[in-house]
Amino acid sequence: MRIATIIAGAVIFLLLAIPLAVQVITAFRGPFLPFGVSSAKWSVENFQTLWGLRDDFWAVLGSTAAFVGGSTVLSLLMAFGLAWVTVRTDAPMRRVISVLVVVPFIIPPIVKAQAYLLMLSPESGVLNQLLRLLPGDLVIDPYSFVTMTFIQALTNVTFPFLMIVPILTSMDGSLEESARVSGASWPKTLRRVTLPMLWPGLLGVAVLTFILGLGSLEIPLLFGQQSGKSIFALKLWSLISAGAGELPQYGLAAAWGCVFLVITTIAFVIYLRATRNAERRASISGKGFRPTVMKLGAWKIPVMVLVVVFVLLTAILPLFALLWSSITPYPIAFSFDALVTQTQFGSFGAVLADPEFWASLGRTLVIAGGSATIACVVATVLAYGIARGRRTGWSKAMDLFASSSVAIPAVIVGFAMFLTFMVINPVIPLAGTLVALVIAYSYRVSIAYRSGYSATLQIRMELEEAALVSGASPLQGFRKVVVPLLMPTVFAVWIQMFVLGTNEFTLPAFLATPETRPLSVYMYAMISPRSAQLYQPDQGAAMALIFTLLVFVIGYGLQWAVSLRAIGRAKRRRPLPGIGGTPVIEPDEPVSPDTRSVAAQDLADQRELAKR
Amino acid sequence: MTDATGGGRLVVDGLEKQYELDGAEVPVVKGVTFTIEPGTFTSLLGPSGCGKTTTLRCVAGLEHSNGGVISLDGNVLSTGTKHVSPDRRDIGMVFQNYAIWPHMTVLANAVFPLQVSAKRLPKQEARRRAMEALELVQLDAYAHRPATALSGGQQQRLALARALAHRPKLLLLDEPLSNLDAKLRDTMRHELRALQQRLGITALYVTHDQSEALSMSDRVAVMNQGRIVQEAAPRDLYYSPADRFVADFVGRVNMIPAVVRSRDDSGDALIEAFGSRMVTPCPPAIGTGADVTVTFRPESVRWHDSAPDRPNVLPARVARVEFLGEIVEYEAEVLHGETVVGTLVARGAPLRSPSSGSRIFLELDPTACRVLAA
Ligand SMILES: Nc1ncnc2c1ncn2[C@@H]1O[C@H](COP(=O)(O)OP(=O)(O)O)[C@@H](O)[C@H]1O
Ligand SMILES: [Mg+2]
Repeated sequence: MRIATIIAGAVIFLLLAIPLAVQVITAFRGPFLPFGVSSAKWSVENFQTLWGLRDDFWAVLGSTAAFVGGSTVLSLLMAFGLAWVTVRTDAPMRRVISVLVVVPFIIPPIVKAQAYLLMLSPESGVLNQLLRLLPGDLVIDPYSFVTMTFIQALTNVTFPFLMIVPILTSMDGSLEESARVSGASWPKTLRRVTLPMLWPGLLGVAVLTFILGLGSLEIPLLFGQQSGKSIFALKLWSLISAGAGELPQYGLAAAWGCVFLVITTIAFVIYLRATRNAERRASISGKGFRPTVMKLGAWKIPVMVLVVVFVLLTAILPLFALLWSSITPYPIAFSFDALVTQTQFGSFGAVLADPEFWASLGRTLVIAGGSATIACVVATVLAYGIARGRRTGWSKAMDLFASSSVAIPAVIVGFAMFLTFMVINPVIPLAGTLVALVIAYSYRVSIAYRSGYSATLQIRMELEEAALVSGASPLQGFRKVVVPLLMPTVFAVWIQMFVLGTNEFTLPAFLATPETRPLSVYMYAMISPRSAQLYQPDQGAAMALIFTLLVFVIGYGLQWAVSLRAIGRAKRRRPLPGIGGTPVIEPDEPVSPDTRSVAAQDLADQRELAKR
Repeated sequence: MTDATGGGRLVVDGLEKQYELDGAEVPVVKGVTFTIEPGTFTSLLGPSGCGKTTTLRCVAGLEHSNGGVISLDGNVLSTGTKHVSPDRRDIGMVFQNYAIWPHMTVLANAVFPLQVSAKRLPKQEARRRAMEALELVQLDAYAHRPATALSGGQQQRLALARALAHRPKLLLLDEPLSNLDAKLRDTMRHELRALQQRLGITALYVTHDQSEALSMSDRVAVMNQGRIVQEAAPRDLYYSPADRFVADFVGRVNMIPAVVRSRDDSGDALIEAFGSRMVTPCPPAIGTGADVTVTFRPESVRWHDSAPDRPNVLPARVARVEFLGEIVEYEAEVLHGETVVGTLVARGAPLRSPSSGSRIFLELDPTACRVLAA
């Protein structure tokens, strides 16, 4: 057991630490690669260069702050509003609303980016078309900075939403009720009691959303190149994809990476403190109560209108734009006339007949499946060992480390992994292989680690001890009691990571070659105006739709398959009444791939640990 | 499992256990010593946090003890250095919250110990024995249900069946009834005791509930702050508590300060309490003039309307009467002249109870009084 824990810990450590170390070393060693080239030597030249171009430096910092900060604030506001409506009000169809907010999570971000591009096209875009119906000459410029920020916010709402819902759900309504009874009005209660209680939790959500936004390349890549403002993710990407004849400036890019690594480390520290504070304020008490429900009354209609607008913007219009584009030969505005005369369905057939489509799909499945498996196995073993082992300085450090991959923006990981595979290539030739991609995708171990950790804490120690006193050896106890109880969680996390993997764009954008690129990158290559081998627009849209459909079918299909097994058991299973009616394990209804959140889990874990 | 499993003889000698807390070693069990004869039922009784569970877990081998010897039928299970792992100890254990495995059926839970034991049984035989164990606790009809579809009481019985299935020499129980409602608790108490006697298994039972300990046990060991303060048969414990802690912890008790005025050779002493003179038995170690505490149970106090012509009578006024159903409890203020010098609690049959505020005379049964060094 101990040895397995140590091995798992070492794997995770190497997985995360080596790339970051290589990146830092590259920043301090020369303009190109840090080892094996004659130009490599220790220097601070790259930082000097960075500082020499400080106008550019401040510009990038400024526009990144505006873009990521702005989109984080926007998506938090939307997520909080939607979460509040679904959890704390009597709005009609609350379940439907929450499903409609959650489902777009499974649409690959690169597809979303493409859909927004189509939807916002000044001439043919469906949104601009709708706006023309309104009075006033309203046209949205797809390439303006504000638009880009808004789109980034819209594509990311689900993530904070999923984390805010549990925070709101588990808030003790009696605390608000007592404020109301003391004579405070609703707004006053919200300001004086609710928000102060929720605020540390929300701060944690904000930090994670910020890091997610900082790390994703899709929107800046598709929208930002025209806006003229350089966002950090885009900057990093363009630094390593040098033009013909020049050496790529890895050292300078690494220096950039270091700057942003420092920024996210600070953000992560804030996150850790925030979740700890959230626990201290005990905004969450966790025992059978329901949060009080606010009557919307006259507000019902405006609230519902906003919700409908949101769903239109995040799900219906993008999908419609894709669909319309896929059945029209060239960009034309929607009209019934065009629907009758212009539509054709050849694009789908063309995509399906493209052998490279199938090849890249196959690679996607291999990479996503392989990395999800590695991450789940390693992280679960480590999580079990740490949750059950003695708490020492080492185990606390490892716990923090394994949880920290959420704190590293994906672009930095992509770049650092890219460098690492280049550096080790003379010894271990992995650069440009599928294995490299599998390893890189596995960096999201912290998702599996946090879930495994929580799930282990949920399995009461006595269940294992009962096996021991029944005469089972520790290994038998682990196999027969722990493994079956952890399995539902591991499956759910596996599916979640698998879906994340199929949707992944940022990592392969740095790491994949034309021979190893997954579907997301292949699709980008086919629609990017810079690409040599362009698809027709309708074929690009058709591929995006097929891609989305596939992720849907695979994600929900797997979940359904797992739940078939689990429901069979869960139907007959009631939670065991433990002390004070607490269930022995979390009722193991299959957790949908997207209904667990890191922040909520951290809170729950600390509560569990505090109980001990 | 019609044949008696028989029980082992458990000897715990000088058991020590410390926990590490913020770098410091905090002693939790401090030299606990007791012996359980084969086939008998011993309870560890004590307030919450006194180290009962820790002691039990050391016996089970779930904790490594820091000192002292634990042996079962002469086989040493642990010393400060040696440690036999729990799966080699031939014990069964019922946990406070049952620890029923939620991913298995009732039968799978019960058959588990038979599947994993070193002396592997053939499949059929293991199943047969598990069914026998389930029959013992009347759960055989539920064998194929998921374990989580059982009620609290049934889960409790399943935990018991599982602990007995492999016919261990020693059964350990950690507050097994504390999660049941009062009525079920009473029933289970009887069932558990009857089963233990029928199987002749040795049992060590941990509880903080004195009525459980007194009603089920052959012997009761009272623990306080990591030490055993008295070990005795229930009756002796109740009527002859060794010190104020035991007297106070086991049942309701009156404790009044007194002074020994004189003593005679027969073991009786003349004492003065609340300004009145009383005669009680007194341990020989306590000499004339000593300050002592006299303890007696509320139910050994009788009341009269007028002073009977006997010793050990205290004049009193009824301060409060509480009707508890099968009995009435009342609080009486002991009077010396017209001043209140102390209060006593007494219990009696509800049909004839004094009324609040009335003046009465309390008679203490000398044989029910114990004199303890103050
Ligand atoms: N794993 C542990 N680490 C540190 N202290 C513990 C641990 N388990 C129990 N204790 C402490 O030991 C004391 C005795 O606990 P326990 O044996 O559970 O008491 P009881 O069962 O009599 O209520 C308590 O003060 C408790 O806080
Ligand atoms: Mg206990």
